[in-house]
Amino acid sequence: MFKHTKIILLAFILLGSSQIWAQDDISPERKQAIDSLAMEKVKDLSKYISIIGSKETSFSEANRVIERTLELFAPNSQMGVSSLYRKEIKYYTVRKYLNKLMALNYDQVTIKWYNIQYISDLEPQPDGTYVGVITIYQRFEGRKGDDLNYVDTTKKDITVYVKRKETQIGGRTIGFWDVMLGDIRVAETSK
Amino acid sequence: MKKIKSILLSLTLLAVVFPIRTQVIGKYMDDESRLYAETKQVNQFFRRFNNEEGPDGVRYSKRSREYRNPDTRLKYLNILFDLENSSLDDQTKNSFLNIVTNDTAPKFLDFHAKGWFAEVKTKFLYRGQPKYVTFYLELEQENLGYKWVITNVNFDNYSKLLEEENLGTEKFLHPMSHELDFMNFIRVFDNKKYIEDYTQDGFAPDYLSIFIYEFKQGLFEYQTVMDLKFHFFQIPGWYFELEKFNRSGYNTGWLISRLTPISEEEKSVLMNYIYHD
Repeated sequence: MFKHTKIILLAFILLGSSQIWAQDDISPERKQAIDSLAMEKVKDLSKYISIIGSKETSFSEANRVIERTLELFAPNSQMGVSSLYRKEIKYYTVRKYLNKLMALNYDQVTIKWYNIQYISDLEPQPDGTYVGVITIYQRFEGRKGDDLNYVDTTKKDITVYVKRKETQIGGRTIGFWDVMLGDIRVAETSK
Repeated sequence: MKKIKSILLSLTLLAVVFPIRTQVIGKYMDDESRLYAETKQVNQFFRRFNNEEGPDGVRYSKRSREYRNPDTRLKYLNILFDLENSSLDDQTKNSFLNIVTNDTAPKFLDFHAKGWFAEVKTKFLYRGQPKYVTFYLELEQENLGYKWVITNVNFDNYSKLLEEENLGTEKFLHPMSHELDFMNFIRVFDNKKYIEDYTQDGFAPDYLSIFIYEFKQGLFEYQTVMDLKFHFFQIPGWYFELEKFNRSGYNTGWLISRLTPISEEEKSVLMNYIYHD
Protein backbone atom coordinates (compact mmCIF):
# COMPACT_ATOMS: atom_id res chain seq x y z
CA MET A 1 0.00 0.00 0.00
CA PHE A 2 2.81 2.32 1.00
CA LYS A 3 4.59 1.45 -2.22
CA HIS A 4 1.58 2.29 -4.37
CA THR A 5 1.16 5.62 -2.60
CA LYS A 6 4.83 6.31 -3.22
CA ILE A 7 4.54 5.54 -6.94
CA ILE A 8 1.42 7.70 -7.30
CA LEU A 9 3.19 10.49 -5.44
CA LEU A 10 6.22 10.19 -7.70
CA ALA A 11 3.99 10.17 -10.77
CA PHE A 12 2.41 13.43 -9.60
CA ILE A 13 5.82 14.95 -8.96
CA LEU A 14 6.62 14.08 -12.54
CA LEU A 15 3.38 15.61 -13.83
CA GLY A 16 3.56 19.10 -15.20
CA SER A 17 3.10 21.42 -18.13
CA SER A 18 4.57 19.77 -21.16
CA GLN A 19 6.49 21.62 -23.82
CA ILE A 20 9.24 23.23 -21.75
CA TRP A 21 10.97 20.08 -20.41
CA ALA A 22 10.73 18.23 -23.68
CA GLN A 23 13.25 20.69 -25.07
CA ASP A 24 15.31 21.71 -22.05
CA ASP A 25 17.59 19.71 -19.81
CA ILE A 26 15.79 17.85 -17.04
CA SER A 27 16.25 19.78 -13.78
CA PRO A 28 18.18 18.03 -10.96
CA GLU A 29 15.01 17.85 -8.82
CA ARG A 30 12.98 16.28 -11.60
CA LYS A 31 15.82 13.90 -12.43
CA GLN A 32 15.86 12.75 -8.82
CA ALA A 33 12.13 11.97 -9.03
CA ILE A 34 12.63 10.11 -12.33
CA ASP A 35 15.57 8.18 -10.82
CA SER A 36 13.37 7.08 -7.91
CA LEU A 37 10.65 5.88 -10.26
CA ALA A 38 13.23 3.99 -12.33
CA MET A 39 14.68 2.39 -9.18
CA GLU A 40 11.17 1.24 -8.19
CA LYS A 41 10.96 -0.57 -11.53
CA VAL A 42 14.41 -2.10 -11.05
CA LYS A 43 13.36 -3.35 -7.59
CA ASP A 44 10.12 -4.75 -9.05
CA LEU A 45 12.23 -6.60 -11.61
CA SER A 46 14.36 -8.11 -8.87
CA LYS A 47 11.33 -9.17 -6.86
CA TYR A 48 9.77 -10.81 -9.92
CA ILE A 49 13.02 -12.65 -10.69
CA SER A 50 13.02 -14.13 -7.16
CA ILE A 51 9.44 -15.32 -7.61
CA ILE A 52 10.03 -16.76 -11.08
CA GLY A 53 13.17 -18.62 -9.97
CA SER A 54 11.64 -20.21 -6.88
CA LYS A 55 10.34 -23.79 -6.92
CA GLU A 56 7.59 -22.74 -4.55
CA THR A 57 6.04 -20.70 -7.35
CA SER A 58 3.55 -22.67 -9.41
CA PHE A 59 3.99 -22.87 -13.19
CA SER A 60 0.92 -20.75 -13.89
CA GLU A 61 1.87 -18.15 -11.28
CA ALA A 62 5.43 -17.97 -12.68
CA ASN A 63 4.03 -17.40 -16.17
CA ARG A 64 1.75 -14.67 -14.86
CA VAL A 65 4.74 -12.97 -13.19
CA ILE A 66 6.76 -13.28 -16.41
CA GLU A 67 4.02 -11.31 -18.20
CA ARG A 68 4.11 -8.69 -15.43
CA THR A 69 7.90 -8.50 -15.74
CA LEU A 70 7.73 -7.99 -19.50
CA GLU A 71 5.44 -4.99 -18.93
CA LEU A 72 8.39 -3.22 -17.28
CA PHE A 73 10.39 -3.39 -20.50
CA ALA A 74 10.38 -1.56 -23.81
CA PRO A 75 9.63 -3.95 -26.72
CA ASN A 76 12.49 -6.14 -28.02
CA SER A 77 14.70 -5.54 -24.97
CA GLN A 78 17.65 -7.90 -24.67
CA MET A 79 19.75 -9.29 -21.84
CA GLY A 80 23.47 -9.39 -22.69
CA VAL A 81 25.27 -11.80 -20.35
CA SER A 82 28.98 -12.41 -19.89
CA SER A 83 30.95 -14.37 -17.30
CA LEU A 84 34.33 -13.96 -15.67
CA TYR A 85 35.80 -16.53 -18.04
CA ARG A 86 33.83 -15.68 -21.19
CA LYS A 87 34.12 -12.00 -22.07
CA GLU A 88 31.89 -12.12 -25.13
CA ILE A 89 28.24 -11.19 -24.68
CA LYS A 90 25.57 -13.86 -24.97
CA TYR A 91 22.18 -12.46 -25.91
CA TYR A 92 18.77 -13.47 -24.60
CA THR A 93 15.40 -11.84 -25.11
CA VAL A 94 13.95 -10.89 -21.73
CA ARG A 95 11.28 -13.59 -22.14
CA LYS A 96 13.88 -16.25 -22.91
CA TYR A 97 16.00 -15.15 -19.95
CA LEU A 98 13.00 -15.39 -17.62
CA ASN A 99 11.95 -18.76 -19.07
CA LYS A 100 15.47 -20.08 -18.46
CA LEU A 101 15.28 -18.80 -14.91
CA MET A 102 11.97 -20.57 -14.38
CA ALA A 103 13.48 -23.82 -15.66
CA LEU A 104 16.34 -23.65 -13.11
CA ASN A 105 13.84 -24.73 -10.51
CA TYR A 106 15.60 -23.95 -7.23
CA ASP A 107 13.78 -24.52 -3.95
CA GLN A 108 14.72 -21.03 -3.01
CA VAL A 109 16.13 -18.08 -4.91
CA THR A 110 17.57 -15.18 -2.94
CA ILE A 111 18.68 -11.99 -4.58
CA LYS A 112 20.81 -9.92 -2.28
CA TRP A 113 21.43 -6.31 -3.15
CA TYR A 114 24.58 -4.41 -2.56
CA ASN A 115 23.57 -1.13 -1.00
CA ILE A 116 24.98 0.82 -3.89
CA GLN A 117 23.76 1.94 -7.24
CA TYR A 118 25.01 4.36 -9.82
CA ILE A 119 22.57 6.33 -11.90
CA SER A 120 23.91 7.99 -15.02
CA ASP A 121 22.87 11.31 -16.50
CA LEU A 122 19.77 11.25 -18.66
CA GLU A 123 20.82 11.92 -22.25
CA PRO A 124 18.38 13.02 -24.94
CA GLN A 125 18.06 10.76 -27.99
CA PRO A 126 17.28 12.16 -31.47
CA ASP A 127 13.62 11.07 -31.07
CA GLY A 128 13.17 13.16 -27.91
CA THR A 129 13.20 10.19 -25.51
CA TYR A 130 15.77 10.42 -22.72
CA VAL A 131 18.00 7.46 -21.95
CA GLY A 132 20.04 6.63 -18.88
CA VAL A 133 21.74 3.62 -17.29
CA ILE A 134 21.33 2.39 -13.73
CA THR A 135 24.14 0.19 -12.44
CA ILE A 136 23.37 -2.19 -9.61
CA TYR A 137 25.18 -5.14 -8.03
CA GLN A 138 23.40 -8.29 -6.94
CA ARG A 139 24.28 -11.65 -5.48
CA PHE A 140 22.15 -14.48 -6.79
CA GLU A 141 21.80 -17.55 -4.57
CA GLY A 142 19.96 -20.66 -5.69
CA ARG A 143 19.31 -23.30 -3.01
CA LYS A 144 18.09 -26.88 -3.24
CA GLY A 145 17.15 -28.06 0.22
CA ASP A 146 19.78 -26.70 2.57
CA ASP A 147 22.51 -26.67 -0.06
CA LEU A 148 23.65 -23.56 -1.81
CA ASN A 149 23.68 -24.88 -5.38
CA TYR A 150 24.59 -21.79 -7.33
CA VAL A 151 25.92 -18.39 -6.41
CA ASP A 152 27.24 -15.48 -8.40
CA THR A 153 27.68 -11.74 -8.07
CA THR A 154 26.81 -9.68 -11.10
CA LYS A 155 26.97 -6.07 -12.15
CA LYS A 156 23.81 -5.13 -13.98
CA ASP A 157 23.76 -2.07 -16.23
CA ILE A 158 20.10 -1.42 -16.88
CA THR A 159 18.90 0.90 -19.65
CA VAL A 160 16.15 3.27 -18.62
CA TYR A 161 14.03 5.12 -21.17
CA VAL A 162 12.23 8.21 -20.02
CA LYS A 163 9.58 9.55 -22.34
CA ARG A 164 7.34 12.53 -22.13
CA LYS A 165 3.70 11.50 -22.52
CA GLU A 166 0.36 13.20 -22.19
CA THR A 167 -2.93 12.12 -20.71
CA GLN A 168 -6.39 13.66 -20.34
CA ILE A 169 -7.56 14.23 -16.78
CA GLY A 170 -10.90 16.03 -16.37
CA GLY A 171 -10.66 17.47 -19.87
CA ARG A 172 -7.19 18.89 -19.18
CA THR A 173 -4.08 17.66 -20.99
CA ILE A 174 -1.45 16.75 -18.45
CA GLY A 175 2.10 15.87 -19.37
CA PHE A 176 4.04 13.23 -17.46
CA TRP A 177 7.27 11.26 -17.71
CA ASP A 178 6.92 7.54 -18.40
CA VAL A 179 9.79 5.23 -17.40
CA MET A 180 10.52 1.92 -19.15
CA LEU A 181 13.40 -0.51 -18.74
CA GLY A 182 15.43 -1.49 -21.81
CA ASP A 183 18.45 -3.69 -22.58
CA ILE A 184 20.32 -5.07 -19.58
CA ARG A 185 24.03 -5.87 -19.59
CA VAL A 186 24.78 -8.56 -17.01
CA ALA A 187 28.48 -9.01 -16.20
CA GLU A 188 29.66 -11.53 -13.64
CA THR A 189 32.09 -9.93 -11.19
CA SER A 190 32.79 -12.83 -8.83
CA LYS A 191 31.69 -16.37 -7.99
CA MET B 1 60.10 0.00 -4.85
CA LYS B 2 58.87 3.34 -6.23
CA LYS B 3 56.02 1.50 -7.95
CA ILE B 4 54.96 -0.29 -4.74
CA LYS B 5 55.07 3.05 -2.92
CA SER B 6 52.87 4.59 -5.59
CA ILE B 7 50.34 1.72 -5.35
CA LEU B 8 50.26 1.97 -1.54
CA LEU B 9 49.70 5.72 -1.80
CA SER B 10 46.83 5.19 -4.23
CA LEU B 11 45.23 2.54 -2.02
CA THR B 12 45.46 4.92 0.94
CA LEU B 13 43.76 7.56 -1.19
CA LEU B 14 41.02 5.07 -2.08
CA ALA B 15 40.44 4.32 1.57
CA VAL B 16 40.08 8.03 2.27
CA VAL B 17 37.74 8.66 -0.66
CA PHE B 18 35.67 5.50 -0.16
CA PRO B 19 35.46 4.66 3.55
CA ILE B 20 34.81 0.98 4.30
CA ARG B 21 31.12 0.28 4.83
CA THR B 22 30.09 -2.78 6.74
CA GLN B 23 26.43 -2.26 7.45
CA VAL B 24 23.90 -4.94 6.61
CA ILE B 25 20.45 -3.69 5.71
CA GLY B 26 17.90 -6.44 5.28
CA LYS B 27 19.03 -8.32 2.18
CA TYR B 28 21.74 -5.76 1.46
CA MET B 29 25.30 -7.01 1.42
CA ASP B 30 28.16 -5.88 3.59
CA ASP B 31 31.52 -4.32 2.71
CA GLU B 32 30.78 -2.37 -0.41
CA SER B 33 33.86 -0.16 -0.36
CA ARG B 34 35.25 -1.95 -3.41
CA LEU B 35 32.08 -1.19 -5.36
CA TYR B 36 32.17 2.45 -4.28
CA ALA B 37 35.74 2.69 -5.51
CA GLU B 38 34.98 1.12 -8.88
CA THR B 39 34.43 3.60 -11.71
CA LYS B 40 31.20 1.92 -12.68
CA GLN B 41 30.24 3.72 -15.88
CA VAL B 42 32.03 5.83 -18.49
CA ASN B 43 29.57 8.49 -17.34
CA GLN B 44 31.09 8.21 -13.87
CA PHE B 45 34.60 8.47 -15.32
CA PHE B 46 33.64 11.86 -16.78
CA ARG B 47 32.09 12.99 -13.48
CA ARG B 48 35.08 11.85 -11.41
CA PHE B 49 37.60 13.30 -13.86
CA ASN B 50 35.85 16.68 -13.64
CA ASN B 51 35.05 16.33 -9.89
CA GLU B 52 31.33 16.76 -10.48
CA GLU B 53 30.06 14.15 -8.00
CA GLY B 54 30.66 13.08 -4.42
CA PRO B 55 32.25 9.78 -3.28
CA ASP B 56 28.70 8.39 -2.95
CA GLY B 57 28.15 8.94 -6.69
CA VAL B 58 25.63 11.74 -6.18
CA ARG B 59 26.08 14.76 -8.46
CA TYR B 60 27.15 18.06 -6.96
CA SER B 61 24.91 20.97 -7.77
CA LYS B 62 26.65 23.38 -10.15
CA ARG B 63 26.26 26.00 -7.42
CA SER B 64 27.97 23.79 -4.83
CA ARG B 65 31.48 24.70 -3.65
CA GLU B 66 32.49 21.10 -4.22
CA TYR B 67 31.57 21.19 -7.93
CA ARG B 68 34.87 20.94 -9.87
CA ASN B 69 36.73 21.88 -6.67
CA PRO B 70 40.45 21.73 -7.59
CA ASP B 71 41.59 20.45 -4.16
CA THR B 72 39.41 17.36 -3.99
CA ARG B 73 39.68 16.85 -7.75
CA LEU B 74 43.25 15.59 -7.50
CA LYS B 75 42.12 12.72 -5.22
CA TYR B 76 39.72 11.54 -7.89
CA LEU B 77 42.15 11.94 -10.74
CA ASN B 78 44.72 9.76 -8.98
CA ILE B 79 42.36 6.79 -8.77
CA LEU B 80 41.39 6.95 -12.44
CA PHE B 81 44.58 5.26 -13.67
CA ASP B 82 45.26 1.55 -14.08
CA LEU B 83 47.69 1.20 -11.18
CA GLU B 84 48.84 -2.24 -12.31
CA ASN B 85 50.20 -0.85 -15.56
CA SER B 86 53.91 -0.18 -15.20
CA SER B 87 54.03 1.83 -18.44
CA LEU B 88 51.95 4.54 -16.75
CA ASP B 89 54.90 6.12 -14.93
CA ASP B 90 54.57 8.78 -12.24
CA GLN B 91 56.42 11.43 -14.22
CA THR B 92 54.02 11.21 -17.18
CA LYS B 93 50.99 11.07 -14.89
CA ASN B 94 52.13 14.11 -12.91
CA SER B 95 52.79 16.14 -16.08
CA PHE B 96 49.29 15.26 -17.27
CA LEU B 97 47.70 16.09 -13.91
CA ASN B 98 49.53 19.43 -13.79
CA ILE B 99 47.94 20.40 -17.12
CA VAL B 100 44.50 19.12 -16.11
CA THR B 101 44.45 20.85 -12.70
CA ASN B 102 46.19 24.03 -13.80
CA ASP B 103 45.08 26.83 -11.45
CA THR B 104 44.32 29.38 -14.12
CA ALA B 105 43.08 27.11 -16.93
CA PRO B 106 41.97 23.70 -15.63
CA LYS B 107 40.94 21.17 -18.27
CA PHE B 108 37.71 19.18 -18.19
CA LEU B 109 36.20 16.41 -20.27
CA ASP B 110 33.01 17.11 -22.20
CA PHE B 111 30.75 14.16 -23.05
CA HIS B 112 29.13 15.98 -25.99
CA ALA B 113 32.28 17.53 -27.47
CA LYS B 114 34.48 16.11 -30.22
CA GLY B 115 37.85 14.61 -29.35
CA TRP B 116 36.90 11.18 -28.08
CA PHE B 117 35.59 8.04 -29.73
CA ALA B 118 34.82 4.38 -29.08
CA GLU B 119 36.55 1.30 -30.50
CA VAL B 120 34.35 -1.80 -30.39
CA LYS B 121 35.72 -5.23 -31.26
CA THR B 122 32.99 -7.56 -32.51
CA LYS B 123 32.64 -11.09 -33.82
CA PHE B 124 30.81 -11.87 -37.06
CA LEU B 125 30.43 -14.88 -39.27
CA TYR B 126 31.94 -13.75 -42.58
CA ARG B 127 31.06 -16.09 -45.41
CA GLY B 128 30.28 -18.61 -42.66
CA GLN B 129 33.67 -18.26 -40.90
CA PRO B 130 34.10 -16.55 -37.47
CA LYS B 131 35.96 -13.26 -37.93
CA TYR B 132 36.64 -10.16 -35.82
CA VAL B 133 35.55 -6.74 -37.04
CA THR B 134 36.47 -3.52 -35.22
CA PHE B 135 34.15 -0.51 -35.39
CA TYR B 136 34.96 3.09 -34.49
CA LEU B 137 32.09 5.26 -33.27
CA GLU B 138 31.55 8.92 -32.38
CA LEU B 139 28.71 10.79 -30.75
CA GLU B 140 26.73 12.88 -33.22
CA GLN B 141 24.01 15.39 -32.52
CA GLU B 142 20.67 14.98 -34.28
CA ASN B 143 17.73 17.26 -33.52
CA LEU B 144 17.98 17.93 -29.78
CA GLY B 145 19.49 14.55 -28.96
CA TYR B 146 22.62 12.51 -29.55
CA LYS B 147 23.48 9.14 -31.02
CA TRP B 148 26.59 7.01 -31.58
CA VAL B 149 27.47 6.70 -35.25
CA ILE B 150 29.93 4.38 -36.99
CA THR B 151 32.75 6.40 -38.52
CA ASN B 152 35.16 3.69 -39.58
CA VAL B 153 35.70 -0.06 -39.59
CA ASN B 154 38.70 -2.33 -39.58
CA PHE B 155 38.55 -5.84 -40.95
CA ASP B 156 41.72 -7.88 -41.50
CA ASN B 157 40.45 -9.46 -44.68
CA TYR B 158 40.04 -6.02 -46.27
CA SER B 159 43.33 -4.62 -45.08
CA LYS B 160 45.29 -7.70 -46.14
CA LEU B 161 43.77 -7.55 -49.60
CA LEU B 162 43.86 -3.80 -50.13
CA GLU B 163 47.09 -2.79 -48.41
CA GLU B 164 49.44 -4.85 -50.54
CA GLU B 165 52.56 -2.92 -51.31
CA ASN B 166 52.30 -0.64 -54.31
CA LEU B 167 55.40 -1.41 -56.32
CA GLY B 168 55.58 1.91 -58.16
CA THR B 169 55.05 3.18 -61.67
CA GLU B 170 55.22 0.06 -63.80
CA LYS B 171 51.48 -0.22 -64.26
CA PHE B 172 49.55 2.67 -65.74
CA LEU B 173 47.20 3.68 -68.54
CA HIS B 174 49.26 5.66 -71.01
CA PRO B 175 48.08 9.22 -71.72
CA MET B 176 46.79 8.45 -75.24
CA SER B 177 44.59 5.55 -74.12
CA HIS B 178 41.48 7.63 -74.80
CA GLU B 179 42.22 7.65 -78.52
CA LEU B 180 41.85 3.87 -78.49
CA ASP B 181 38.56 4.03 -76.61
CA PHE B 182 40.49 2.68 -73.59
CA MET B 183 40.72 -0.71 -75.21
CA ASN B 184 43.84 -1.28 -73.03
CA PHE B 185 41.53 -1.83 -70.09
CA ILE B 186 42.10 -5.47 -70.92
CA ARG B 187 45.46 -5.12 -69.19
CA VAL B 188 44.04 -3.14 -66.24
CA PHE B 189 41.63 -5.89 -65.32
CA ASP B 190 43.89 -8.73 -66.29
CA ASN B 191 45.52 -9.05 -62.85
CA LYS B 192 43.79 -8.46 -59.49
CA LYS B 193 47.07 -7.65 -57.80
CA TYR B 194 47.77 -4.37 -59.60
CA ILE B 195 44.34 -2.76 -59.75
CA GLU B 196 45.24 0.01 -57.25
CA ASP B 197 48.12 1.11 -59.50
CA TYR B 198 45.55 2.48 -61.90
CA THR B 199 43.85 4.73 -59.33
CA GLN B 200 44.67 8.37 -58.63
CA ASP B 201 47.47 9.47 -56.34
CA GLY B 202 46.37 9.36 -52.69
CA PHE B 203 43.72 6.70 -53.22
CA ALA B 204 42.65 5.18 -49.93
CA PRO B 205 40.05 2.44 -49.69
CA ASP B 206 36.90 3.22 -47.70
CA TYR B 207 36.46 0.06 -45.65
CA LEU B 208 33.17 1.18 -44.15
CA SER B 209 31.52 1.42 -47.58
CA ILE B 210 32.86 -2.00 -48.49
CA PHE B 211 31.58 -3.42 -45.22
CA ILE B 212 28.11 -1.95 -45.71
CA TYR B 213 27.99 -3.29 -49.28
CA GLU B 214 29.03 -6.76 -48.20
CA PHE B 215 26.75 -6.70 -45.16
CA LYS B 216 23.83 -5.90 -47.47
CA GLN B 217 24.93 -8.77 -49.66
CA GLY B 218 24.41 -11.02 -46.62
CA LEU B 219 28.09 -11.93 -46.25
CA PHE B 220 28.25 -10.87 -42.59
CA GLU B 221 26.21 -12.31 -39.75
CA TYR B 222 26.56 -10.53 -36.38
CA GLN B 223 27.60 -12.69 -33.41
CA THR B 224 28.65 -10.57 -30.44
CA VAL B 225 30.65 -7.75 -28.90
CA MET B 226 34.07 -8.88 -27.69
CA ASP B 227 35.73 -5.77 -26.30
CA LEU B 228 35.40 -2.02 -25.94
CA LYS B 229 37.74 0.88 -25.30
CA PHE B 230 37.76 4.65 -25.76
CA HIS B 231 40.34 7.04 -27.18
CA PHE B 232 40.54 10.57 -25.80
CA PHE B 233 42.16 13.63 -27.41
CA GLN B 234 40.17 16.22 -25.44
CA ILE B 235 43.04 17.37 -23.21
CA PRO B 236 45.26 19.55 -25.42
CA GLY B 237 48.67 17.98 -26.02
CA TRP B 238 47.66 14.62 -24.56
CA TYR B 239 46.17 11.29 -25.60
CA PHE B 240 44.77 8.67 -23.29
CA GLU B 241 42.98 5.36 -23.63
CA LEU B 242 40.12 4.24 -21.38
CA GLU B 243 39.45 0.55 -20.68
CA LYS B 244 37.29 -1.47 -18.30
CA PHE B 245 39.01 -3.60 -15.66
CA ASN B 246 36.88 -6.33 -14.10
CA ARG B 247 39.17 -7.65 -11.36
CA SER B 248 39.47 -7.89 -7.62
CA GLY B 249 40.67 -4.97 -5.50
CA TYR B 250 39.88 -1.29 -5.49
CA ASN B 251 41.45 -0.23 -8.77
CA THR B 252 38.65 -1.42 -11.05
CA GLY B 253 36.08 -0.28 -13.61
CA TRP B 254 36.81 2.33 -16.29
CA LEU B 255 40.45 3.41 -15.94
CA ILE B 256 43.10 5.19 -18.00
CA SER B 257 45.19 2.38 -19.46
CA ARG B 258 47.51 4.39 -21.69
CA LEU B 259 48.69 7.98 -21.46
CA THR B 260 51.07 9.91 -23.66
CA PRO B 261 51.89 13.51 -24.54
CA ILE B 262 51.22 14.10 -28.21
CA SER B 263 51.83 16.83 -30.80
CA GLU B 264 49.42 17.61 -33.65
CA GLU B 265 51.72 15.84 -36.13
CA GLU B 266 51.98 12.78 -33.93
CA LYS B 267 48.22 12.75 -33.56
CA SER B 268 47.62 11.89 -37.21
CA VAL B 269 50.22 9.10 -37.00
CA LEU B 270 48.49 7.74 -33.88
CA MET B 271 45.05 7.98 -35.53
CA ASN B 272 46.37 5.92 -38.44
CA TYR B 273 47.72 3.40 -35.95
CA ILE B 274 44.38 3.19 -34.11
CA TYR B 275 42.46 2.82 -37.37
CA HIS B 276 45.08 0.31 -38.67
CA ASP B 277 45.42 2.51 -41.79
